[in-house]
Amino acid sequence: MRMTFKIIWIALLGSASIFAQNKELLYDFNEIPQSLMVNPGVKTSQKWHVGIPVVSGLAFQGATSGVTVNDLFANDGIDFTTKVQERLLDVMGNKDDFSTTSQIEGITIGFRGKNRPDDYYSFGIYGETDIITYWPKDLAILAFEGNGGGNLGRSFDLGDLNLRGEMINVFHFGINRKVSNALTLGARAKLYSSVFQFQSIKNSGSFTTTAGQNNIYESTITADMQLQTAGVREIYDIIDEDTGTTQKDLTSVFTERVLLGGNLGFGLDFGFSYDLNPQTTITGSILDLGFINNSKDVWNYTFAGSTTTEGISVFLPDDIDDVNNDLWEELIDEIDTALPHGENQSSYISWRPVKVYGSIKYDFGQGGGAVLDNCGCAVNGGGGGRALDYYRNSLGGQLFMIKRPRGVQAALTGFYQRRFGRALSLKGTYTVDKYSLTNIGLGANFQLGPVNFYVLADNLLSYANLADSHYASLQFGFNIISWNGN
Amino acid sequence: MKRLPYCIILLSGFLLFLAACTEEQDFSQVDDLQVTPTLASGLFYFESDEATINSEGALSVFYSQEVNFDAFNEQYVAERLIEGVITYEIDNTTSKELRLIIEFLDDAGRPLDAEIFTIEANSPETVVRDVPYGPGGKPIDILANTSSLRVSAINLSDGTSVSSADDPKIILRSGAQFVFRLK
Repeated sequence: MRMTFKIIWIALLGSASIFAQNKELLYDFNEIPQSLMVNPGVKTSQKWHVGIPVVSGLAFQGATSGVTVNDLFANDGIDFTTKVQERLLDVMGNKDDFSTTSQIEGITIGFRGKNRPDDYYSFGIYGETDIITYWPKDLAILAFEGNGGGNLGRSFDLGDLNLRGEMINVFHFGINRKVSNALTLGARAKLYSSVFQFQSIKNSGSFTTTAGQNNIYESTITADMQLQTAGVREIYDIIDEDTGTTQKDLTSVFTERVLLGGNLGFGLDFGFSYDLNPQTTITGSILDLGFINNSKDVWNYTFAGSTTTEGISVFLPDDIDDVNNDLWEELIDEIDTALPHGENQSSYISWRPVKVYGSIKYDFGQGGGAVLDNCGCAVNGGGGGRALDYYRNSLGGQLFMIKRPRGVQAALTGFYQRRFGRALSLKGTYTVDKYSLTNIGLGANFQLGPVNFYVLADNLLSYANLADSHYASLQFGFNIISWNGN
Repeated sequence: MKRLPYCIILLSGFLLFLAACTEEQDFSQVDDLQVTPTLASGLFYFESDEATINSEGALSVFYSQEVNFDAFNEQYVAERLIEGVITYEIDNTTSKELRLIIEFLDDAGRPLDAEIFTIEANSPETVVRDVPYGPGGKPIDILANTSSLRVSAINLSDGTSVSSADDPKIILRSGAQFVFRLK
């Protein structure tokens, strides 16, 4: 039991120190090839690029809009139960969440069309894990405080249970086209290969204990709850069997599913960049307009019904001849019948979390046209022409929105980017969202010959004590980039 | 020399990551967590009209029933029961003095405890009795070992009189609020 609690706590709160969906540092950081993944219509200048397998793009993000790890686990001498009560139960609402996202690029390759140099093609594979759990406020209070005492008459909302998670492998192919000197458009098609998916996002119901019509208390429960899972049962069974081949079996299942052997889905990304004038650019993108059809290894669990009980009741004279002494068992059976919990294997569609970015950028501090003179591609590089001017500085703002089970989450970012020739570019951001009002991020892109390395880190102020952070994000990767025929 | 600024920035970046730290965390505090909800529930409701009492005659037991009651002696519950209160409320609008006996019986049918109520005829007020269990009250083991309840209702008066009250009845309500240690 202790171990179970530890695992739950660490899973719930430990996730807060990993990685997020918003990639405000990467967005429109067009020196980094991976910026194509957050805006297929970003301005590209390279001839080709190849990500170094597995380490071309690693991104980890964790967020909690409520309690932090430090709030609960700091070695501060305060009674732990008191901390849970005051910092978790009394403070967090059902819109607070714990979320974690991670992405690992397996392969990424991009190249400019030989016959159509205005087109830049990119394709690759990446894995993504995304889990969000909203704080089940009323259920947590019910578990910690119960339905008695001050909670008599309180309606506990069973709809507070809301979670979703998935692990997928994504095969993608995108086209980025410079339509004119001012406009670049892009689109990307994605084939999703799901490893597992689970969601419990449409729950409703309540549990209430009040003064009874007859007896002192009556308890009423109304529930319509469902947990949908795909790809989970087989993994669970393998682990549960705990045979000598567990590791091998898991590897086999995992390998099959990442290589299109599991549930499949399809999605699209779109994006653009448009120069309002030589120094002002607006961009936008919409990502993961897609779904996964979950039809294999599907196990759904349901709990639905309604009942009210006041305990064992005997009415005379009606029950005078009822000598049955199993009234308690009958009561339990009645409740079970009124609230059936079942299983089914109905397939279901899970929608990907759609993301939208938008930005406006003002460039200034002209640095000449030297930075990309060797492009050889004559597209968005330096060398001459109105759109090819090189500016050392960029200042702007970005908007990010993501569709979550409880609605759209938004983040607003202000940024400043400074370029030091081709070798180094830095981007600083300040982001406001539900997780943090003090999120300052810093990104750096290093270009050492053809070798590109980038590292992007969010919420730097929290690095003094990561455990007290509501949000942490880290992305980095290596690429080989060519601007000419090399 | 020209690359010096870059090197400084690069070094600063690495120092930033190196400077990332976290205060000491003590995850073993989870062991100290106490989850002790108070659960409330109706237990037993008994109601009889005066005609039924009269039908059994004077000075008679007009109802006696033993009912299985495993609410507290389920192992999971019994091990976690800390303390609590059972509340009884009785209304008697009949013309008879009545006695209600609630016996707590173990698996073998042996009485562990009993609550006895003698209620005057046409009782003007609801009789309320709170019976605490646990520290300061009756031993919690009574409940933990209770397997069934025997409810007896006895008429201490005649078997013919009829109350002038509208729809005269004897009503026993009971409910419990108990604290459990889930962790």
